[in-house]
Amino acid sequence: MQNHKDILSDKSKNDKSKDKSVLVIGGGVGGIRAALDLAESRRNVILIDKSYSIGGLMTQLDRTFPTNNCDLCTVSPHLSETTRQLHLDLQPMTQLVELTGEAGNFIATLVTEPRYIDIEKCTACGECHKHFPDAVRFTPGLDPRAPTCMRYPQATPYSFSIDMEKITDIKALQKVCRADAINAYDTPKKTRVELASVVLSVGAQLFDPAVLDNFGGGQFDNVMTGLEYERIMSASGPFQGDLVRVSDKKRPKKVAWIQCVGSRGINKADVPYCSGVCCMYALKEAIVTKERFAENIETTIFYMDMRTYGKDYELYFNRAKNDYDIRMVRSRPHSIIEDSKTKNLSITYALEEEALQKTEEFDMVVLSTGFRIPETTLDLANRLGLELNSHHFARTDHFNPVKTSKPGIYACGVIESPKDIPETIVQASAAASMAAVHLPVVIDSSGAPEIFIPERDISGEKSRIGVFVCDCGFEIGGLIKVDKLIEFAKNRKDVVVSQAVGYGCSRDSMEIIEGLIKTHNLNRVVIGGCSPRTHETKFQDLLRRAGLNKYLVEIVNLRDQDTWAHIGQPKESQDKAFKLLHAGISGVRKSRPLIDQTLPMNQNALVLGGGVTGMTAALQLANQDIKVYLVERGPVLGGLAMSIQKTIEGDDVGPFMDKLVEIVLAHKNIQVLTKSIIVDHSGIPGRFKTGIQTGIRMNYMQLSHGVTILATGALPNRPDSYGLGTHVNITTQLELDAMIEDAPEKIKTMNHVVMIQCVGSREPGNPNCSRICCQTSIKNALRIKAINPDAQIFILYRDIRTYGFYEDYYMEARKKDVKFIRFSLDNKPIVRVENDQVSVFVDDIILGRKIQIQTDYLALSTGMIADDETTEDLSMMFHLPRTADHYFLEDHVKLRPVDMSVRGFFIAGTNHSPRTIRESITQALAAAGRAQTLLAKKEIELGAAIAKVDGSKCAACLICVRSCPFSIPFINEDGYSQIDPAKCHGCGVCAADCPAKAIQLLAYEDDQILAKLDGLFGELN
Amino acid sequence: MKIFEPEIVAFCCHYCAYTAADMAGSKRISYPANVKIIRVPCTGKVDAIHIMKAFEKGADGVYVAGCLQGDCHFKNGNTRAKYRVEQVQIILGDLGWEKQRVAMINMSAGMGERFARTALEFTQTIKQLGPSPIKITHTDINQQAIRF
Repeated sequence: MQNHKDILSDKSKNDKSKDKSVLVIGGGVGGIRAALDLAESRRNVILIDKSYSIGGLMTQLDRTFPTNNCDLCTVSPHLSETTRQLHLDLQPMTQLVELTGEAGNFIATLVTEPRYIDIEKCTACGECHKHFPDAVRFTPGLDPRAPTCMRYPQATPYSFSIDMEKITDIKALQKVCRADAINAYDTPKKTRVELASVVLSVGAQLFDPAVLDNFGGGQFDNVMTGLEYERIMSASGPFQGDLVRVSDKKRPKKVAWIQCVGSRGINKADVPYCSGVCCMYALKEAIVTKERFAENIETTIFYMDMRTYGKDYELYFNRAKNDYDIRMVRSRPHSIIEDSKTKNLSITYALEEEALQKTEEFDMVVLSTGFRIPETTLDLANRLGLELNSHHFARTDHFNPVKTSKPGIYACGVIESPKDIPETIVQASAAASMAAVHLPVVIDSSGAPEIFIPERDISGEKSRIGVFVCDCGFEIGGLIKVDKLIEFAKNRKDVVVSQAVGYGCSRDSMEIIEGLIKTHNLNRVVIGGCSPRTHETKFQDLLRRAGLNKYLVEIVNLRDQDTWAHIGQPKESQDKAFKLLHAGISGVRKSRPLIDQTLPMNQNALVLGGGVTGMTAALQLANQDIKVYLVERGPVLGGLAMSIQKTIEGDDVGPFMDKLVEIVLAHKNIQVLTKSIIVDHSGIPGRFKTGIQTGIRMNYMQLSHGVTILATGALPNRPDSYGLGTHVNITTQLELDAMIEDAPEKIKTMNHVVMIQCVGSREPGNPNCSRICCQTSIKNALRIKAINPDAQIFILYRDIRTYGFYEDYYMEARKKDVKFIRFSLDNKPIVRVENDQVSVFVDDIILGRKIQIQTDYLALSTGMIADDETTEDLSMMFHLPRTADHYFLEDHVKLRPVDMSVRGFFIAGTNHSPRTIRESITQALAAAGRAQTLLAKKEIELGAAIAKVDGSKCAACLICVRSCPFSIPFINEDGYSQIDPAKCHGCGVCAADCPAKAIQLLAYEDDQILAKLDGLFGELN
Repeated sequence: MKIFEPEIVAFCCHYCAYTAADMAGSKRISYPANVKIIRVPCTGKVDAIHIMKAFEKGADGVYVAGCLQGDCHFKNGNTRAKYRVEQVQIILGDLGWEKQRVAMINMSAGMGERFARTALEFTQTIKQLGPSPIKITHTDINQQAIRF
């Protein structure tokens, strides 16, 4: 382990130059997030990727768990964000060849491969590919349309690339390019850049199962990897989104998934670690198969342990079993045999409880393959001078998972360890936050140069409306007829253009719309697509680029609130789409250009919770010259981590925590307020005011802050089961942990130790997995074995969930003869105490009989539960949503995992979901980084929805003065109500209450709402 | 005889109910397509006039869906909305209409299931009540309207 002193004050002593950049290597979802975070906090970033467009693995997935949403829809707004960031230099087809210097003063040599196409000129018309389909650079899975070098419609940059080796007649190729974009003499470009730090986000490859003869060695048509199955289901895949077998293009009736292919193994080609994501993706693919294609497709998953340890993932697993009837078979199949005629597949497998092998036939078999580090990454690590761990992933600090062995280089995503998208995003924000430490604190408050053309004055113009409807692949177009909507819209009054746009959010569609706005002189736009909650900003920016005020667009929610909600009802859905679209057209006619209000941002941060998470976040912000109020309910800092002795990696938690507390207490930018509770809260994002009562006297104090980080933690669970609390030798794992440290002599006397897993977790009342317990019990078992090698240890479990590299410790425990006995929820162990002797009775599935263990000690893995009282109080105070099991609910479980739905609020640590110290630290750094992106803006955008008074109608009746929840209106000298636009929150209560209708809420004026009603009921006024 | 399919307008606040409706969609939880949403920043913005106009134009039922009580993003907009809905219920009663044609429903942003369930329950209520009296007496409104 590295010295943990330096992570606590990771400030480079080197010269900090404002002009230096951060280099982000790898343009997958992690690299994009890291680059965006840095750019948003006004740091210069260079994002390089060896591929010709960014996006990485995620863009090849059909849908993502646990929401089963289309990935392109969720990731594409992020991708295009990258193109509009002023501080971001995107360099595809580029690799790092050399890095010299040290943290704060690196010099990197980058080489960009020739694309043979001028990105500036290329319009991505596709003519080149039509004529020269062999000029292929990339083959995404099974895609027979591979000639298109663009993998998906939202590709960034939006341009083709050419494989010069496959071109014989360059002149002929140049001739077909109407944009004259082909540059035959393109050469590799070498550049040298000065860097302050580097973020490594190169991800990993997926294991290629072609080396496994027992699974057909890649020769069976209907055996494929999970990723290939995703491509088959994808609308941009080989069968345009139709689920069919490769051999005969027929819909399969029986599909099987085999888990842990190449992972968690000791045979040839296997790796020992767990890839962490395959259980969830197999469940997702099985659910989507039933949801989208046919409920009667039989789906079976062959697995060893179901590892659904993430936030709410256990609920997803339960839904798969109970609601979707997905069959779960606990077995690791031996082989697959193909019937040469039917191309059906026989799987041979054995069940624990039965002696004989079974054979079953399937139409399709999906191999759940996991992550592998490719050779190219080993080379790159070598060039960077990075240490790798025994599995070839980046070795990082145990108390700072993004910090590599080389100062100034940070790792995030799968290169650090196998992980899913939300965990990758969290690490990316954490890595960005750490990388920014090597750059000067940004003081520059000058506004960004205006990147939009001046707005066209549309006053006096007659409405000229453009209607654009997305099919969103199958998401909208699969259920309703988009062409009918287009035809319908065309015949409405004032509609000048009505057109289908495929994926409206893709770069090409956006450009088409922008072009049509300009050529037809449109002054209002209706987009029929997904939710305005996610995509309104994107289309508002489109209008600004086209020279229109951004409030002249209306988004009609045809996907989230129509086709998604009315699956199986095409007629009703179509009818609703007509009405919603009509309401949108009718409403947009009444829209008016509006001006956004802004206010200066308060630069202080409030961090709630003085545990390891809160302290880490506070320190990270304080080191960036941000004033932090660290508010803790208890009398001292430290939190739950103070009661943990050792991590599974063998590090002492105590000294680390002591040092952290010391530095936090001494930091000039951190004001620690212990024994403090929140009593009131007001303000708007960027200008919050929070009242606390603090100290023994409970003095009132009001804190002004721009952002808030919630790190209030969770509680150790202590359910009333298995005799906990009735006998001195029945305790939780926390108490065992302390005993191993403080009283090893007691451990030496123990002959038998039993541990029971999932106590109070994964059962009614607390249905989710507590995530930390499997590794905790294995950690404690190994520590006991180290002190007392003869001790017999039994771990009674339901599924062992040692994800990622924790699998190493599981294997070590098995090697050291720790006995693992599985039980099921409906047949739990029984604990009896007789004559001071603790006995555990459990049905051993393999032996097929009940066994009794007379044990010297019983440790219960009780895990964590949400601090219901605290999260409830705070969610009421701050208006924040919670999950059903009382954790805070983040804004987007996939792509905004530490942001809350109320801007300016971030969450980290165990009030998000159960997690380890290491994972909590990552989240803390991520939340601090995200908070900085907001603070860097210096100004708060208040939007335009503010109440406006028409003085001539106002009778000064005082109703608005009394009804405003924020007491903003007052009667001015002229005798009528006045509302300060900078203070108005935009709820519209006053407008609704005003008897004279003298107040209108801009963007939601009465005539606009009534126009929508007219539209709904078929009247176009 | 044709089955009566009511027209239902749901005024949903941006922060809770509209988000919950999106959540229902993203979880693919079905609810009757009769329900059409009009987004407002806060249910406190929904005026009695908006509800009455919805009936006048042809709605058979109208409901206002906002944040949970005490959880309003704007402190108490949903309480104001509840009060106004009650006012409209009184007006409907005076007109001899069924009060159940208008309702206030509360939910948090995460409650996709609740959005779908309440949408179904409200639709069933209106189906039982039958077409709005306005539709019966003023069929000409429908005749003027565009047929979809």
